[in-house]
Amino acid sequence: MKKLAALLLAGAMAFSLAACGGGDSKSGSDEGNKAASGTEDGGGAEDGAKDQESGKPYKAAFLVNGNLGDKSFYDSANEGLTRLKEDLGADVFDFKVEEMGGDPADEANWEPTLLDYCDTGEYDVIIIGTWQMYDALNTAYEMYPDQKFIFFDEPFDFEAAGNPDNIFNMMFKQNEVSYLVGAGAALMTTSEEIEGIDPSNSIIGFLGGMDGVLINDFLVGYIQGAKDVNPDIQVAVAYVGDYIDSAKGKDLSLAQFQNGADVSFNVAGNAGLGLIEAASESKKYAFGVDSDQAALLPDYAASIPSSALKNIGNALYLAIQEDMEGTLKYGTMQSYGFAEGGVGLVLDSHYEEVLPESIRTKLAELQKSIENGDIVVKSAYEMTTEEVAEVVNSVKIQ
Amino acid sequence: MLNGIFSVEFVNSILRATTPILFATMASAVAAKAGICNMALEGMMLLSALFGVLFSAMGGGIFGTASGLSQFASFGFGFLLTVLVGGLIGLIFAFCILHMKADEILAAIALNLIASGGTVMILMAVAGEKGASSTIASVAAPKVVIPLIGSIPVLGEILSGQNLLTWLSILAVIVMHVFLYKTPMGLKIRAVGENKNAAESVGISARKIQYIALVISGMLASMGGFYLSGGYMNMFTREMAAGRGYIALAASSMGADTPVGGFLVSILFGIAQAVANLMQLTTIPMQLIQLIPYLTTLIGLGIYSYARMKRRKKLLSSE
Repeated sequence: MKKLAALLLAGAMAFSLAACGGGDSKSGSDEGNKAASGTEDGGGAEDGAKDQESGKPYKAAFLVNGNLGDKSFYDSANEGLTRLKEDLGADVFDFKVEEMGGDPADEANWEPTLLDYCDTGEYDVIIIGTWQMYDALNTAYEMYPDQKFIFFDEPFDFEAAGNPDNIFNMMFKQNEVSYLVGAGAALMTTSEEIEGIDPSNSIIGFLGGMDGVLINDFLVGYIQGAKDVNPDIQVAVAYVGDYIDSAKGKDLSLAQFQNGADVSFNVAGNAGLGLIEAASESKKYAFGVDSDQAALLPDYAASIPSSALKNIGNALYLAIQEDMEGTLKYGTMQSYGFAEGGVGLVLDSHYEEVLPESIRTKLAELQKSIENGDIVVKSAYEMTTEEVAEVVNSVKIQ
Repeated sequence: MLNGIFSVEFVNSILRATTPILFATMASAVAAKAGICNMALEGMMLLSALFGVLFSAMGGGIFGTASGLSQFASFGFGFLLTVLVGGLIGLIFAFCILHMKADEILAAIALNLIASGGTVMILMAVAGEKGASSTIASVAAPKVVIPLIGSIPVLGEILSGQNLLTWLSILAVIVMHVFLYKTPMGLKIRAVGENKNAAESVGISARKIQYIALVISGMLASMGGFYLSGGYMNMFTREMAAGRGYIALAASSMGADTPVGGFLVSILFGIAQAVANLMQLTTIPMQLIQLIPYLTTLIGLGIYSYARMKRRKKLLSSE
């Protein structure tokens, strides 16, 4: 009996570990890697241990504190690296992706995995991102001063860390693309050409995940864009409080739509899917975020005019090429906005179907103005909490 | 804001928020009455949310979705299968803690972790997705439109058009109340929960009774899980139970683990959530608003323990 219980428990543990994406961090052992990719989904990228004989390519390691297949962030990075490998050839550039898993149980593995990768010394650069990896990076850059890191989507405090010169901090101007979304939403809500929209009021919505500086960077840009095209705009702002509760996201969004909003913007991870369902049910509109959500959710596509993207893949593509030439400015932070192709809206035929030409032309003009610096979009990273609150309150529904 | 509170939509949003918690609260109540703290509700709901999508899509494949009747058959097939599997999960959980004598809290944590990773793994295997089941054509629970009543203003609008599972959750309260307090099996469950040894001394097999209670608990939790992905939302999203299983545990214990008490507390939680949702439209700071559901819990617990203390004092003084 006891044996059976032990077996059951062991089975349960193995199952949950494998399901979490395999925290297997033994980069050296091929067998371990094969076993791990056998039990999970095989990952996106075939890593190139096989090309080791043919010269010494520039090698990058991309440590995902989650899993590939998010159809957003990590997949975009993976796509950029894959594209670079295809363009340059595997003998010039090669990379390895390690999926560390994103569940709370996996978090304890992130730092050891990062240190293991540093320890091999095999990689010219190690790519990690998001605020969740900040502490791990803080340990690693000091222990391995010769190891180069690219750290994306969370500002690294260089001054506090004593200006380390082995970190390149890659940021995205989500406020710029949000500006465009905000302008689009504000133009849509008073438009008489779009089905299902009540042009008599100027209310738009916003659904955020948590009330933090990243989400508020989206929000500040969104509000600025909306106000620039319609000074009387009112914005219903709601936060889910997490990134997983899609049902709550739906309820919050339904309340916004019932109170007169016609268009909204979801920046709430999976909880944002609730907004998209709510928009579809209410015959209203919701902008997507981080990936082309209209393409991902064909049943709801009619309600999704476009999506705001961070093209992490594009930015990595540029940055690694610079690094190969030795021109990448380690020890600094660089923001990738419209001008660098680091952010953008999805501008496909679907977008053209949903939005009338007048709005599209206006948005293209605004994007130009941002690119050449005529419009400077405010950023929550450079504002105090009070200033952000002031911006939000200036457009609250009265 | 006030307009919002006195609208039909507000009542609907309360019912939407209450339904999954209510099912899970009943699940917690029946387990607690048998002397088991079912912390695995969260995982059971999450697994059932995924199974609900998969099975109802399977039903759609068998019965089609062309007419209302075939849609109902697809939903019924998916729902029954999900509830069956929910009972099976309850059985496995019971086997671990009753037969194998695993600690009930540890076993529950294991089950919750398996659910959290396992649902993503299954979703990946079946649909090639990791975040949401948007590509699976699942069939949601239908809304019950009551012909004549629906045309009565306000009341009719509330009564007609609710999700079938919302009605079922209210029915579950009545059924559980009758089951626990008016049937021999209910008496046995309560006896085992009150004092296992005393119950066994009169020839009741405590283990058998606890098995039955946990299977029922699993079935009720799976109904709540099904509602999440086939009523509240129309797809499964990763980790979508979002703590509702734990909230239900609190609701059940606040309601003294009785079906009616749990029902009242669930409604209270639903109201708190709906009010908090509406208040986000006002200028009241967001941090205060997010307090509301928790504050309600705290106040509710306070009132409950005060009432219990009074009752105990009264009992003591009358002796």
